Parts: sequence; C-alpha cells; structure tokens
Amino acid sequence: MGYSILLAQAALNGLVIGAMYTLMAVGFTLTFGIMRVVNFAHGEFYMLGAFTGFFTYVCWDIPFVVCLLIAALIVGILGMLVERTLIQPFRADEMSGMIATLAISVIIQNGAVLLWGPQPRPMPDIVTGSLAIGPFSFSWSRLVVIAAAALIFALFWLFMQRTRLGRAMRAVAQDTETALIQGIRVNHVYPLAFGVSVALAALAGALMGPVFSVSPFVGATPMLKAFVVVILGGLGSVPGAVVGGLVLGMIESFTATIFGSLVSDILQLLLVILILLVRPSGLLGQREA
Amino acid sequence: MDASGVIAGHVEQRAPSRRRWRFAVAGFVLLAAALALPQLTTNQFHLHLANLMLLNAIFAVSLGLIASVGQISLGHAAFVAAGAYISALAAMNLKIPPIFGILIAGLVTGFAAVLLGKVLLRLRGVYFVLVTFLAGQVFTLVALNWESVTHGANGLVGIPAISLFGFPLATRLRFYYFALAAFVLVLTFVWALMRSQYGRAFRSIAENIRLAESSGIDVSHYQVVAFALGSGIAGATGAIMVHYIRFLSPDSFTFNDSVAYITMLVVGGRTGLIGGVLGALFLTPLPEFLRGFVGAQHIIYGVILLAVLLFLPNGLVSLGRFFVRRSGAETEASP
Repeated sequence: MGYSILLAQAALNGLVIGAMYTLMAVGFTLTFGIMRVVNFAHGEFYMLGAFTGFFTYVCWDIPFVVCLLIAALIVGILGMLVERTLIQPFRADEMSGMIATLAISVIIQNGAVLLWGPQPRPMPDIVTGSLAIGPFSFSWSRLVVIAAAALIFALFWLFMQRTRLGRAMRAVAQDTETALIQGIRVNHVYPLAFGVSVALAALAGALMGPVFSVSPFVGATPMLKAFVVVILGGLGSVPGAVVGGLVLGMIESFTATIFGSLVSDILQLLLVILILLVRPSGLLGQREA
Repeated sequence: MDASGVIAGHVEQRAPSRRRWRFAVAGFVLLAAALALPQLTTNQFHLHLANLMLLNAIFAVSLGLIASVGQISLGHAAFVAAGAYISALAAMNLKIPPIFGILIAGLVTGFAAVLLGKVLLRLRGVYFVLVTFLAGQVFTLVALNWESVTHGANGLVGIPAISLFGFPLATRLRFYYFALAAFVLVLTFVWALMRSQYGRAFRSIAENIRLAESSGIDVSHYQVVAFALGSGIAGATGAIMVHYIRFLSPDSFTFNDSVAYITMLVVGGRTGLIGGVLGALFLTPLPEFLRGFVGAQHIIYGVILLAVLLFLPNGLVSLGRFFVRRSGAETEASP
C-alpha cells in the first residue's frame, strides 16, 4: 500500500516536471528546426516569464490565466525583437549564432539581477487543497500545472496545424528555399517563430513559478533539461520533444524516488547518450541528408 | 576590400620568404616582451591574470585542434577536469611529483579520448556537439558523486605546487615562466603538426569531409588523432592549472568553461592557430577591466561579445589581418 502511494506520487511529479520539460523543449526544438539556431538563452526567457507571472500575480492581484497571457505576450514580443536585431545577422553561421545566444543569455540574466536582485522570491500558490481519489491524494497546484500545460500544448498544436502562419513555419522548417519559392516571407517567419518559441518558455516559467521559487537563476536547469529532451526526442522534432519531455520527466521522478536525485541525473544522461549512439537523430527525429 | 585582398595575395606570392621572416621577427619580439612582462609589474593580481591568460590560451588552442577536423566539442572542460583530478590525486595520495602527474594526466586523458573518440566521433556536426555536452555533464556528476575519491562538492584542498629539481613554483612569478614555457611548447607543437601531412589532412576534412573521404583520406583516423591530441593537451594543462590554483572541485571546470573555450575560439577566429590565443588574451582579462561598472560588468561583457560577433564575423584575427593589409598596401604604395 505504502509503495503504491509512493509510486503514484512519483508518477504525478513526473508528469508535472515532464509537462514543464515538454513546454521548454518544444520551443527549443522549434527554433532549431526552423532557424538552425541552438538557443542558449532559452532558459532566460523562462526566467523572464516566471518574473512577469510573479509580478503581475502578486502586485496586480489579477486572475492567473491573465498573468500567463501577459507573460507570453511580453516575452514573445521581446523574443521577436531579439531575433530580428541580434540573431538574424548570424543566419549563415550556426556556431556564431550559438555564441550570440550565449551573450544574450548573459545580458538578460545579469540584467535581471541588476533589476530585481539575486535573492529567490517564493510565489504564493494559485490554488490550495488536494484531490483525494481513494487512498491517493494529489495537490491541486500540481494538477493545475499539468492541465494548463496540456491546454497550452493543444493550442500550440492547433496553431501549427491549422493557421497559415503555423503552416508557413512548418514549411520553412522542412525546406527554406522551397518555402521561399512558394512565396513565404522567411524573414517574417523567423522572428515570429522565435517569439512563439520563447513565449512557450515564458509560459513554462510562469506556470512553474508557484512550484519552485522565482529568481534570476531559475532558467539554468530547465534549459539543460530542454537540451537533453531535445537530444532524446530528435533535434527539430516537435512530437519528439513532447515524448522526450514526458519520458525524461517520468524517468527522473522514478529514479529519483528509488535511487536519489544525483544518481538519477547520471542515469538519465547515460540513457540519452546510449540512445544517441544507437539512433543519432533521436527517438522521433529524422535523419539529416 | 576585394582590391586589398588581391594586393595582399600578390605580395604573398611575390615574397613568401620576406613574409615568413617578418613572422619570425614578430614571434621573437612577442616572446621577449612576454619574458620581460612580469618584471614590469609587482601587482600579484596582474600576474595571476597573465597566468590564467596563458593557460586559457592553451585550452582554446587545444579545442581549436579538435575544431580543425570540423568537430566542435562542448565537453572540453571534462578533459581539463579529468587531467586535473588525475594529477591532483596522484600527488596527494601516491606522492607522485606534479611534473610527472602532468605527463600522466596528458597521456591518460589522451588515451581516454582515443577510446571515447572511436565511439563518439561516428556522430558528426551538431550531434557530436550534443553528445560531448552530455559526456561533460556525466563527468561533472560522477565527480560530484564519487565522494570517496573526489571528496564530492567539498573538493580537494591543499594540492601541492609544481616543483622543478627541488625548486617549488609556488609563487605567481615562477609559475608564469612555467606556463609561458608550456604555452610556447604547445603552440610550436600544434604549428608543426598543422604544417605536416596531418595538418593538410585535417584541413581537407574540415573543408569537405565527403571529398576528403572519397580522396582516400582515413577521416575517422585523423579525427580520432585530432580529438586525442586536443584532449590530451587539455588534460595536461588542466593538471598544470590545478597545481597552480591548488584547489579542485567538480565546479572548477564545468559546462560553462567548455562554453568559455568555444567563445574564445569563435571571438578570436576559428581558422588558424592565432585565433584561440587572441580570444583567450582578450576575453580572460575583460571582466576585470569592467570591474569599475559594478553590477553591470557582465552585461557589458555580453554586449562586447555580441559586438565582436556582429562586426568582426571572422573574429579578432580579421582585425589583425586588416592592419597587416593596410601596412602591406602602404609599403606597396610608398616606393
């Protein structure tokens, strides 16, 4: 009995962090798939989202859903500006683009320290209490994260499949030149795709604000995990990022429950290295020509 | 721009010996300046910075060696850390003199890189970058967890300094000359290597891997050689550094350091030997120059990094070429 409760708890925790990893990794893989940019600043946009969520929720006392929207909007627009001015010049050069995102990350993180100080701030829960099903009890605050992440992802999926812009993004990801020939304005698609990508990171940050705390340094871990997830799922593959995120969240939660969190980290990485060696393009990725 | 390029090419064709001679003179002048430099300052912190610049320059050059076969390693710091741990533990537990520890560290990390390289180098491009990133992370975590050997997060304290013939290099000034010797040694070795048959093979692989393969060049052999040499140099230099800093923890060399080495290489200039050196000489002391801007120094560092990338796409080396070209054009015009 005790074991089953422990495992159920581990599964729930796995889903929560898996949902967060998925949101991070989907955005990360989107920028790579479309723009061939490895965005090392992705975690900083997560952090900005967490801060925006924190300030709007605590200071203005407005519904959390509105806070999420504001965070996505502000960070998304910022991302578009950053892409247009600082990342587009490096389109021909993946390595310089990578270093440029690194520089952007340094600037944003230290800007946040300068503005808001280095100390972590606890964020109040959005909802309290817990859901009891038989002997199991799940806290609402975690269930809300899972539900919200699922909803955000469904909206994102609809956007990518049904709207003109989403289709244009997929076309550019598949083949930039052919997309150009079809009359897609690639120069407009890039900033928009980057904006959507970092808006997803911001949503993840705002959602996780109440679960962890908010500080200028919260972006580092999700960033590393997104990196791992994207390798696991396949660079540039959105379904791969979803599957990879949930798988990694589950593995992390269960191995941490059984072996402790440090061993869990090593096991995760070894597993991913193994997968990468057997299938270099990841679980669901496509082989590059 | 094009015209000056033509002129430079012209000069190069007409007088290759004169150009080589000029390089040799410049090298000797720089070496003499480097030898005299520590006599000009008594500031210990400046000496410390100079030491770090030399060691970082070796790290960047060794990474550049791996990059010269078209592979970028995001786990370079793991080899640095491995070398540091090997030599530090050998000195502390087995009482092996650091100078031998450094050699052992270089050999072991180089050999480990051969074994790892045979497996990992099957991956190319971005996938190699990613797998080296993961391998580096695994190393940091293992160092953190293997407490009986590495003392975990507490780190190793009281690592002995290098001692040459009973003469300990415990001061910053003495260590400076040792680091300078190591730097010149590595630079000469890589320079000679790049001029040999190996260097030509490396360049052809970096330029077009498939063409090199179909021309009968054993690509995986040369890539493993470059990876092993680059990693071995990094391991030995990590060992040198740990006998200077004399403290080592899993946080001493992490992913951030791997990224720092790549940054030095890209900012300095990826092609050629000098790029990594310039990058290290520019970026290592940069945060210190910005110390006056309390709180904003890292932001300014990021801005400078962006500016270099935006305005000097081929790195700081292109700045040097620009001046060389101008002086070349002047001598052309003056007679």
